[in-house]
Amino acid sequence: MAQVFPKWVDSIPKRLLIGIIIVLNGVVFGIWYFFSPEFTHMGYAPEQPVPFSHKQHVSVLGLDCQYCHTQVFESRHANIPGTQTCMNCHGQLATESEALAPVRESSDTGSAIEWIRVYDLPDYAYFNHSAHVNVGVGCESCHGRVDRMDVVFQATPMSMSWCLDCHREPEKHVRPVDQVTEMGYNVANQLETGRDLVAKHNINAPLYCQSCHY
Amino acid sequence: MSEEVKQNSYWKSLKELSRNEEYEKFLHREFPENASEMTDQVSRRSFLRVMGASIALAGFAACRRPAQKILPYSAMPENMVLGEPQFYATGMPFQDTVTGLLAENNEGRPTKIEGNELHPSSSGRTNIYHQAAILGLYDPDRSRAIHHNGERASREEFIDFVREHFSDGNRRIAFVSGENSSPTLSRLRNQAESAYPNAQWVNWEAFGEENSLEGARMAYGQRLRTVPHFDRASVILSLDDDFMNPWAHKNSVINAKELNEGRQVRSVEDRMSRLYMVESNFSNTGSMADHRLRLKASEIETFARALAERLSRSISGLNAFSSVNNRFTDHDWVETVAADLLSHRSESLVTAGTFQGAELHAIVAAINLALGNIGQTLTLHELPHDSGRTSVEGLRFLTESLQAGEIDTVILLGTNPVFNAPSDLGFPSALEQAGTVIHLSDYIDETSRLATWHIPHAHFLEAWGDGLGFGGHRSVIQPQIAPLHDGWSDIELLHLIVDREWSDGYDLVRETWQSFYPGNFEQQWRRILHDGIDPESGFEPVSVSLNGNFSSEIQSGGTDPVQGIEITIRPHSTIFDGRFANNGWLMELPDPMTKITWDNVALMSPATARDLGISVERGLSERDTPVIRIEADGETIEIAAWVQPGHADNSISLTAGFGRRNAGRVGNGVGVDVYPLRTTDSMYIQSASVTVTGQSYEIACVQDHHSLEGRALIRKATLEEYRENPDFASFENVHGYPIPGLKEGIAEGGDRPISLFSPQQFPEHEPQWGMAIDLNSCFGCGVCTIACQAENNIPVIGKREVTRRRIMHWIRTDRYYEGDADNPKALHQPVPCMHCDMAPCEQVCPVAATTQSEDGINQMTYNRCIGTRYCSNNCPFKVRRFNFFNYTKEYLTTGDDPEIIQMAMNPDVTIRFRGVMEKCTYCVQRLHRAKLATRRETGSKKPADGTVETACQQACPANAISFGDLTDPESHVTRLKRNERNYVMLEELNVRPRTSYLARLNNPNPELTQ
Amino acid sequence: MSKTYEYVPKPALVKGDHDFSSLTSLITDINLRPTPKAWYVAFGIANVLLLIMLVAVGYLIWQGTGIWGLMQPVGWGWAIINFVWWVGIGHAGTLISAILFLFRQDWRTAINRFAEAMTIFAVMCAGLFPAIHVGRIWVAYWMFPIPNQMGLWPNFNSPLLWDVFAVTTYFTVSALFWYVGLVPDLATIRDRIKSRMGKVVYGTFALGWRGSNRHWWTYEKCYMILAGLATPLVLSVHSIVSFDFAVSVIPGWHTTIFPPYFVAGAVFSGFAMVLTLMIICRKIYKLEDVMTLDHIEKMNIILLVTGMMVGFAYGMEKFIAWYGGVEYEKAIFMYRASGPYAWAYWIMISCNVLAPQFYWVKKFRRHIGLTFVISIIINIGMWFERFVIVVSSLSQDYLPSSWGYYTPTIWDVMTYVGTFGLFFTFFLLFLRFLPMVAVAELKGVLPQANPHNYDKKGNYVPPKSEPPKPQYES
Repeated sequence: MAQVFPKWVDSIPKRLLIGIIIVLNGVVFGIWYFFSPEFTHMGYAPEQPVPFSHKQHVSVLGLDCQYCHTQVFESRHANIPGTQTCMNCHGQLATESEALAPVRESSDTGSAIEWIRVYDLPDYAYFNHSAHVNVGVGCESCHGRVDRMDVVFQATPMSMSWCLDCHREPEKHVRPVDQVTEMGYNVANQLETGRDLVAKHNINAPLYCQSCHY
Repeated sequence: MSEEVKQNSYWKSLKELSRNEEYEKFLHREFPENASEMTDQVSRRSFLRVMGASIALAGFAACRRPAQKILPYSAMPENMVLGEPQFYATGMPFQDTVTGLLAENNEGRPTKIEGNELHPSSSGRTNIYHQAAILGLYDPDRSRAIHHNGERASREEFIDFVREHFSDGNRRIAFVSGENSSPTLSRLRNQAESAYPNAQWVNWEAFGEENSLEGARMAYGQRLRTVPHFDRASVILSLDDDFMNPWAHKNSVINAKELNEGRQVRSVEDRMSRLYMVESNFSNTGSMADHRLRLKASEIETFARALAERLSRSISGLNAFSSVNNRFTDHDWVETVAADLLSHRSESLVTAGTFQGAELHAIVAAINLALGNIGQTLTLHELPHDSGRTSVEGLRFLTESLQAGEIDTVILLGTNPVFNAPSDLGFPSALEQAGTVIHLSDYIDETSRLATWHIPHAHFLEAWGDGLGFGGHRSVIQPQIAPLHDGWSDIELLHLIVDREWSDGYDLVRETWQSFYPGNFEQQWRRILHDGIDPESGFEPVSVSLNGNFSSEIQSGGTDPVQGIEITIRPHSTIFDGRFANNGWLMELPDPMTKITWDNVALMSPATARDLGISVERGLSERDTPVIRIEADGETIEIAAWVQPGHADNSISLTAGFGRRNAGRVGNGVGVDVYPLRTTDSMYIQSASVTVTGQSYEIACVQDHHSLEGRALIRKATLEEYRENPDFASFENVHGYPIPGLKEGIAEGGDRPISLFSPQQFPEHEPQWGMAIDLNSCFGCGVCTIACQAENNIPVIGKREVTRRRIMHWIRTDRYYEGDADNPKALHQPVPCMHCDMAPCEQVCPVAATTQSEDGINQMTYNRCIGTRYCSNNCPFKVRRFNFFNYTKEYLTTGDDPEIIQMAMNPDVTIRFRGVMEKCTYCVQRLHRAKLATRRETGSKKPADGTVETACQQACPANAISFGDLTDPESHVTRLKRNERNYVMLEELNVRPRTSYLARLNNPNPELTQ
Repeated sequence: MSKTYEYVPKPALVKGDHDFSSLTSLITDINLRPTPKAWYVAFGIANVLLLIMLVAVGYLIWQGTGIWGLMQPVGWGWAIINFVWWVGIGHAGTLISAILFLFRQDWRTAINRFAEAMTIFAVMCAGLFPAIHVGRIWVAYWMFPIPNQMGLWPNFNSPLLWDVFAVTTYFTVSALFWYVGLVPDLATIRDRIKSRMGKVVYGTFALGWRGSNRHWWTYEKCYMILAGLATPLVLSVHSIVSFDFAVSVIPGWHTTIFPPYFVAGAVFSGFAMVLTLMIICRKIYKLEDVMTLDHIEKMNIILLVTGMMVGFAYGMEKFIAWYGGVEYEKAIFMYRASGPYAWAYWIMISCNVLAPQFYWVKKFRRHIGLTFVISIIINIGMWFERFVIVVSSLSQDYLPSSWGYYTPTIWDVMTYVGTFGLFFTFFLLFLRFLPMVAVAELKGVLPQANPHNYDKKGNYVPPKSEPPKPQYES
């Protein structure tokens, strides 16, 4: 009786097998990379109501982070400054600037400037700024080189495992508390200094769930 | 009582209701046109607070990341730290008392109520009404605007009307107000009475203190307030006085605290007061008694007379009773109790129930006088704001003058007489006689419907006010937030009417208080605002002697016991006289004894039930209960019958406040209105005829089995037994053999039974949290449950879901009956998560969503939970709660302006989504705050003892819950855990709970124990 | 004294005088002949049920597990009961094909294909429940050890996780085993079917089987290895399912007897289900010659044995509860028999312990009607066994305050009934398109397959069955 299948069909199973292996690996890698916050969240740079340039204010004018984010050492939030803070200078400076219209309006009417949140942790993740800066975790470690940003963007993945990396090995990241706001902090012997600082502040970064989720 | 509405789940009911056209009308008249405007006002006035809430709640906004806004202050307020709560002193007015409180504010919105340590009516503790006030403030059903004949009207219109209407000084005005102790109100009242000579003033409370005052008048010749001091008494006889509960006594918080202080036993040396209880219903105060006698409410006066007679044989001052001879004269109780009282003169205390007749109060007053207790275990005080007549007299007088057309304007400051006036008065129809009715109220309620003008009332957290504590201490009520719905306080409205000019409550209160501190007012004022109270103030004790014509009064008066079946009408344990009917937290709080939610029932003894042909046994699978028809004075109601072991025979206890018609989405049509049975001459107790209707009705009861089945979950002993054998509560003493595996454990060099699992390692630098609950103090009031609900954003799920046994409360109070089925003892046991060191729930979770933390908390990680419910199955204590539906979302996003109710949420606690498990966390958010603060200051993570409290612990008036760090050998909780009475439930399971119990003690009188 | 022995010949496994070709056509013609109307009717009904299931599950995912009767304290209800029940049913197949194969029980050939198919579909139904009963189904994949940005693994201590592995493994191996067995028969159909379409499809799945000696050699080896692999799984899968309960601390669950007890129960219900289906099919498809009364009797004997095992387990549980002296365990076993769920308990006892007792009598063992009825009764009984274990234990555990009575809702019922739709949809497709008896293997047990039954010239001589000569007289 007539053959239904040509000869080459015999090789299909092999090809199929190899093909499947390749595809599967591709899928796994794809999910692993493209579905991770590192890909989805990093670089998120929304347009703000006021085109505030950290670069201008930090590296050019040399303002310290704490000039505006005043409560970072005592509060959960690194507070966004009140309009008053802007007006301290912009009461005199660039008073006619178009870009600053919302600021002036806010300080006149008392209504708030509606900033867009860049670093947006889920509501079930309770991050506390004061707990970190007080033991020498630099602003830069999470927020990147803000002093080089015209428009602020998310510089780090903020994924859970990323947090854990530091919680597991704080000595690789901590710095003297008086230098937390410094940008581009870098020491040759980070490990040694790190270990000393960990000992000094008796840092034992918690790894259990409820240190962040409750 | 429309079935449909009652079956609805909490916020779902809006959807259901909106399908019913009656509600449609209501909806259209009340909200739409002003809904938008409403939100605008909110966003204008308090955008930040809303922001706080909406950021806290954005969790369930969407799965995809929403573009969130950050709205900073334009001008940052001084010494405010974002994310850190601020506490301000205020006070909650309830009838004519004010209890000092602290309000926790997050980003400018009050989110939690705590007691004020400095305030003698609170001393840091609270009751369920205080805790639930937060939900009351953010209740979306509160009235939102002034209404004129049911139509929205503007504030200006009303003010113009007032100017015009009250320009005529001869107006015949009737002011109706609840009992109120506010000095400012009294001041304005005097002004009003002088400004309008024809005005009359009526105080109306459905359940007031009047009988006690009247009793004092009969005994001492003046109307005086009796303030008991239970801590000073070593023998206490309570005649139907449920004094530890807020619905029965205005000073319940302090009573509970003081009674407990008198019964604290920390070592075998300690003394313990003895409590005798004589009552008709089985109250949870009664469940704490060492001896309890169940009598018909109407017999208690008879009992008191017999007791007085017995006492009169030994002490002077009771001659009025020497001739008494009734069925109790030879009762063994009369004998022994009298003996016990006599042997403790001036350190004994007899109290009478608020809802007993004036005669009983008079008799009790005389007995206390004769026993020399006055000035010792109780003090008497004049009330500056006393109207001098009973509520009923006042209301009757008003009704008559209304019917006679002598009144043209009625001004009601709060109160809801159309709903809760005695039925025989015919008040509603009389009210219609008045030309103008102005009603100030929180809701568009039954009375507002008949009012010409309805004015939204400002919540006490929204408006300035003042008042006196139960002991007369002057307190200022400080608002925490601007009125959400443009509400007015009663003083503001009254002032407007008196003076026809608007003035803010703040100025009115200050004006009053200036007179108290003529010298250094500003300084005093600042201090009082900070403390919430003037500690120097307070009523002066009055010394009294027996009224000359006492004997004639007491003999002429006096009511004979009801023959046949009596009914008693009391306020309901959670919604009081109906004023809290729209508060979901209170609606869903199980009654301390019956454990019923979302309904009122007719309580009766098993014997009475049998007589009526109602089955006493109740299977695990039974949800329904028979409905009975109660007829009294021609009025009839139909209500579900409930068998209450320990209830007096031939007596039926009813609770008022249910069956509201215009309470709001929560309260409407829930339960049965019993006010129709109430008449002016029988306000509390009357005879009635009862028949079984044959219908049955579904009851949402959170506990379906009431016997301990002989399991040693609650351990107890008498004081003597304890002194003989101090560690009676230990496992070995209870079971007669050591804990299984302990021997092997010790052999292995441990002190715990051996286990398959390697025990948890807890690092040095972390505190180790633990809790101890003293069953000798807990009387099951349930304030811990509400405090927990407020602190931890626990949703309300509605009757249907409760009936399906899905209640979400993280801490429940189990109530067991023990002994004689007709007259059992009741035991209370609060059960939060035990936080086991070797928790069964942790082993079985497939995704490690529940694990042990380094500080010994059994953590529930909501965002990791996939909802297999295996942990709950494997929990021996069944303390875990599952979000079967999206309860919180329903609860927080239905309604015209969800952000209002969302503002009640605690921003420090995650909102739980559908399909995740949740449970007690030991208030981990508070622990974290404390740990971080300590870390910042000292570098250590271990907060000092007492600096951190869980919500339940902080609220508990009996101080039953202790919590703290177990690594601190001197912390309160560690010391308690060293106490011999300390034990853990189900020790043989070797799950090693962090929460332990202290066994309960009783101090029975050997003479009485059979 | 003298004694005469009656010689009973070993009953032929295939009745009627079948040769290879007649067998082939008897079985494969079912797939080749045009589809009968009745099949469409049955398939329609099955599809309706399937639709019901889809609706129920859809609504469940939309609304949440609240639509079921679950509550505190009973956090597991019908879903888990059905899971255990279906997995149990899923036991017979692999047991028959693997274990009986290793034990050289030739009679298995008539039913193994069929039983394996049933197994696979049953396990599919079972697998559905653990997936849908979770609160947040969209994150159920966290149960699998997949690398993720949270840096978290599942909790390997949890029996539920073991379940995931046990059931998936079992399903994979059973499916593989079944398919390998199918290959020669698929080839047979490929060669007999007329339509080119058919040839292509069957051909594809026949993997180019040509029945060469080498093919047979590989096939046998492969089949043997898979049988070896499957055998431990038969025992492991239900043991592990039983750990869900045995590993917990709940009285009535925390019992060491569970693994053997569950396996016995599983075999019990599995065989019952095979019988139910077999009795229908052999009638409809006229396969009495292949699935003979001897088969039915043998299986009834197994039912009797396993039934007794289960009964023993019931008794032993009670004994240990008393002997162990743990008050909570004592209590729950009292409540089971006398408490609010006593009705379920006694249904269980009468269905599982009493019903099989009929099989002591040969007449009953060989009675088709009775067998059919009892096989169904047993499956009802086994469902109630799981109900009793899951629900009654939870509803009355340690703290009397939390005791509660569980009642299912309409959605529980719909989901359960719906799974029959899933099951029968697949099963009917199987009956229609695949040979329901392993033709190749069956031929192997024909006398024609035995070389001794041929004379020198190579003509087939049927084996004689004569009584042997008496050895001695006395």
